[in-house]
Amino acid sequence: MIYTVIHKTKYLYQTMASLCHNIVYQWPADFPFQRLDNYHYNIMPEPNFLVKRQDYFENPYLYFSVQKTHRELEVQSNSTVTLTTPKWIGINPEQTPAWEEVVKNLRGKETSNEIKQFYLESKHVNFITGLREYALQSFTPARPIMAAMHELNTRIFNDFKFTPGFTEISTPLEEVFKHKKGVCQDFAHFGLACVRSIGLAGRYMSGYIETIPAPGKTKLVGADASHAWIALYIPDTGWVEFDSTNNLLVNDQHIRVATGRDFADVVPLKGIVYSGGGQKMIITVEVQKIGESGD
Amino acid sequence: MNEILASGEMISTYLDERRKNKTPFYDELADPNGTIFPHWQKLVASYNKLGNEKMDDRERIVANQLRENGVTYNVYGDPSGMNRPWMLDPVPVVFSEENWRIIEKGLKQRSKLLNFILSDVYGDRNLILSGHLPFELIYNHKGFLRQMDKVKLPGEQQLIHYSADLARGPAGKMWVLHDRVDAPSGAGYTFENRVAMTRAFPEMIRENRVRKITTYYQTLKNTLVDLAWQNKEDPRIVFLTPGTTNETYFEHAYLSSFMGFTLVTGGDLTVSDGYVWLKTIKGLEKVDVIVRRVDDIYCDPLEFEMHSHLGVVGLMEAVRQKKVLVINPLGCRVLENPGLMAFLPTICQHVLKEDLILPSVATWWCGHDREKQYVLDNIQSLTIRKIYRNSANKSIYGPTLSDQQVADLKKEIITRPYLYVGQEMVNFSTTPSYINGKLEARNAVFRSYAVADTRDNSYYIMPGGLSRSSVTAGVFMVSNQSGGISKDTWVLGEENKSSTGASQSITKQIESFLPSRTGESLYWLGRYAERSIFIVRLIRIVLKRYNEIEDENHPERDVVLTAFLEALSRITLTLPGFTEKKNLHNPTNELLSIITDDQKIGGLSHSLHAFLRNGYAVRDRLGLDIWRILDSIAAESSILKNTDQLHDMTSPLDNLIVKLMAFKGLSVDTMMREQSWNLLSIGRFLESSLKTCAILKSVLAKKQDHETEKTLLENVLINNESLITYRYKYRSTFEISSVLTLLLLNEQNPRSVAYQVIEVDKQIARLPSGNEQYLNPMRKKLLEAITMVRLADTFMLAVANERTGQRKELVTSLEKITAHLQEVSNLIVNYYFNHTASEYGFVTMQIPEI
Repeated sequence: MIYTVIHKTKYLYQTMASLCHNIVYQWPADFPFQRLDNYHYNIMPEPNFLVKRQDYFENPYLYFSVQKTHRELEVQSNSTVTLTTPKWIGINPEQTPAWEEVVKNLRGKETSNEIKQFYLESKHVNFITGLREYALQSFTPARPIMAAMHELNTRIFNDFKFTPGFTEISTPLEEVFKHKKGVCQDFAHFGLACVRSIGLAGRYMSGYIETIPAPGKTKLVGADASHAWIALYIPDTGWVEFDSTNNLLVNDQHIRVATGRDFADVVPLKGIVYSGGGQKMIITVEVQKIGESGD
Repeated sequence: MNEILASGEMISTYLDERRKNKTPFYDELADPNGTIFPHWQKLVASYNKLGNEKMDDRERIVANQLRENGVTYNVYGDPSGMNRPWMLDPVPVVFSEENWRIIEKGLKQRSKLLNFILSDVYGDRNLILSGHLPFELIYNHKGFLRQMDKVKLPGEQQLIHYSADLARGPAGKMWVLHDRVDAPSGAGYTFENRVAMTRAFPEMIRENRVRKITTYYQTLKNTLVDLAWQNKEDPRIVFLTPGTTNETYFEHAYLSSFMGFTLVTGGDLTVSDGYVWLKTIKGLEKVDVIVRRVDDIYCDPLEFEMHSHLGVVGLMEAVRQKKVLVINPLGCRVLENPGLMAFLPTICQHVLKEDLILPSVATWWCGHDREKQYVLDNIQSLTIRKIYRNSANKSIYGPTLSDQQVADLKKEIITRPYLYVGQEMVNFSTTPSYINGKLEARNAVFRSYAVADTRDNSYYIMPGGLSRSSVTAGVFMVSNQSGGISKDTWVLGEENKSSTGASQSITKQIESFLPSRTGESLYWLGRYAERSIFIVRLIRIVLKRYNEIEDENHPERDVVLTAFLEALSRITLTLPGFTEKKNLHNPTNELLSIITDDQKIGGLSHSLHAFLRNGYAVRDRLGLDIWRILDSIAAESSILKNTDQLHDMTSPLDNLIVKLMAFKGLSVDTMMREQSWNLLSIGRFLESSLKTCAILKSVLAKKQDHETEKTLLENVLINNESLITYRYKYRSTFEISSVLTLLLLNEQNPRSVAYQVIEVDKQIARLPSGNEQYLNPMRKKLLEAITMVRLADTFMLAVANERTGQRKELVTSLEKITAHLQEVSNLIVNYYFNHTASEYGFVTMQIPEI
């Protein structure tokens, strides 16, 4: 599948801002089964200072500052990516290794620290009470890891209600677990906490997904949004991606931008503005399929 | 020899107590048989010779010296504990030459080792790959900042300064208790301690050949200059403090002025074009080196803790760009990790091929199963610590735990074993402390200071340091926050010649322009000083009159009293106040509130607070004697606040005036005539001219009968400290146009508006861009103001409307002058202090939604 994504963020400040510093994670990183065909950004007003960098997890990001009086800030990212069918689609879940084997393997010398770090707790992914038990209901003894993960993914989808506005960035995982409500990033954090609490490595995926309009309706421009899901590490196979918000194994509809321990590592746009008043933020994301398959 | 020494009164009691109590501790002074160690013998002889009485005298000298130098320590969460005086025991901790040689060697080795680990953790992480460091000990540590990965300082030395807390174990060997790398404190207090001890015990310091500690500071400065990226001769080095409420703010102010660094808070700095800039009264100046006392995670809210207001937005990116050097580097806190202690001996062997010279306290890291089991089994006889230190993670002492607490802690360790260590509880040595006229044995901890010496890629160890002893006997956990007495640390022996080659003068000031925030504080310090003086004088006049009035049931009928009461409300801007009839009828409550309520904006208490706050913020700019005055004004202000009767206020008010005048006098006498002085003076003269106009306008707006007017004029002169001048000059009765001439027009009278406005102009002319070929906007406004004053006709001003008695001309003229002067103030604030906004409004973040 070939997709174009236009991700536009606009801030309107109540009073003039004299200076702002920002970090943008919208430049799609290198991932298997995805090719970046084109990326360009457009920032208004034009930054006085801008650098492209790569972070610890090898995601590209932009750092920029605007050092002149401004009342609006607009950041736009245009990406074109080609997605291919991941090889995990062809795997029979029942023929994957027992999850305990994977846990053991992760502890061994053969696994690099850069993979190991994803079984540790992180800022938004904590081992809260009851979590391990929740996970173990699917990860029963000796069960093949992918089969167990499929079930966990479905359980999160069924048990949790997608409720925009119920949570914010600072909402602790306990609240999400208790009320079983949230948005994609909450489900991703919860799923990560589940797999990490039993010793598996999981990482946070940030990106986009095309929303399919209801039958008979035309798709609204800008109705898409940023999305989040998780990737589970399976030796020999690599990072296998699951989307519990949509109850599916990721195929060729998820456009990957960045990966990290959790949301805090890959915030699409964060910044600090020197301004007295409040602000209004308008985000639009438009994902468009422009071709069926790559070359 | 020993018998003679041991028979001295102070010492014999000390030794007896020790024998009697059979304490388990090693003692620094004598062995268990009471034999005094050789390096203490000369000292003991001196103490014996001094005797108690003289020792008390010396103790007082020490205390006075510290108090006079304004050495203080802030205690969090204790309102009365703010600026607690620093306590110093007159008896030092003493290290013999031989013993120190080992300690010094051990500290050099440990510095080198920690430097290696730091470079490795942010480099290739070979120590983790080779299994010498457990992966979970680093990756789980909050101090491991991924943003700093592969970011390095120039050269091999990444750890620029380092402190280890040491104590002596039962067998006489020194142990390391803690490693401190993220902004270690105490080097400034150490220096002050030495100054005080040198004052009190000059002969002992000489006779015992106590080694000097100054090379440490010199080496630090040399290293910083050497490291700066741009290789400038005079890099701009700033000292980043969290601010005046920090526990060791005194030291920040002290060290920065001592070393010639500019003291700044995060708000003084800004990042643009990838560089870090200091906002000065001249504009932005590039910063080359930041020596920080702000914890690394608070240094840049964009990349670390986003709610921190102590840091500089964009600093991390400036570090990546190699445009600024942050010392110690961000991310170094990963070394403040007690879990590391368990692995240092093998890492030392692996890296340096040497045995670790200074052992750490026995440490079991729970990330390994066997060690975890040991800790769980012995939890009640161990100290339990988290691998990451912060205020929420205090050490837990096993023996003090209840059964429930033990169970909870065990559960927590089992859930996250890698975050915990168990450490052996060791009995540390006692050392003599002079307490209530007696030598007592107290447990002590010694903080050492190491600094990178870039000239030969080595570490220099200060021959001395900051020791602290426990307040209560038999307790060995010592910290300044929970109370503790500091001790000077004497290392005896020959100076090490090779390490004293430092050449540059340490006190050289490289600063060219004043930071805006400092300038702003000085300006307001001047304004509030003058404002407080005016308010106190006015209150004194009011109180005196209030006591003298004939009809005490109807104070509102006394025109003079009501005129000055109204003036008080107008000057303090505590309106409506005495412009309302009901308050005039019973003025006591409103007066008390103006004097004592610090919530009443504009009142005396509030104004004194603002004065002191600004003074404290610039204490690195003020001389020692001025600090003393500020402290005594603070004391007087709290006496006043606790007084609830008007008639008890006279004496504290008198004292206050004297002290405020002393502040003025001392600043005139001692401050260098440079930008600090200019801004302080501008504040003072501007405030003074504004207040003089306000009083004249308020009191003389309406013509009164002859006698009343006489009294009003007399009091206006008193309030303005111009009565004597008036009498001398006019030798006549009080007459309004003469009074106005003296207080407004007379350019010889330092109390006149004309004189003060001219002074403001002179001072502004000395500031950056104050003396171009054309007048700047401030000087233009001042020219307007002074011209109005000069052209004023005091006979015209004195004319009153025959029917209403209103002096319209006087009021309008004073209002116009006042408006000009206020405009000058606004211009000053915008011109010198507001280069860019210093407060950032909000953090923005975009949340994914689907």
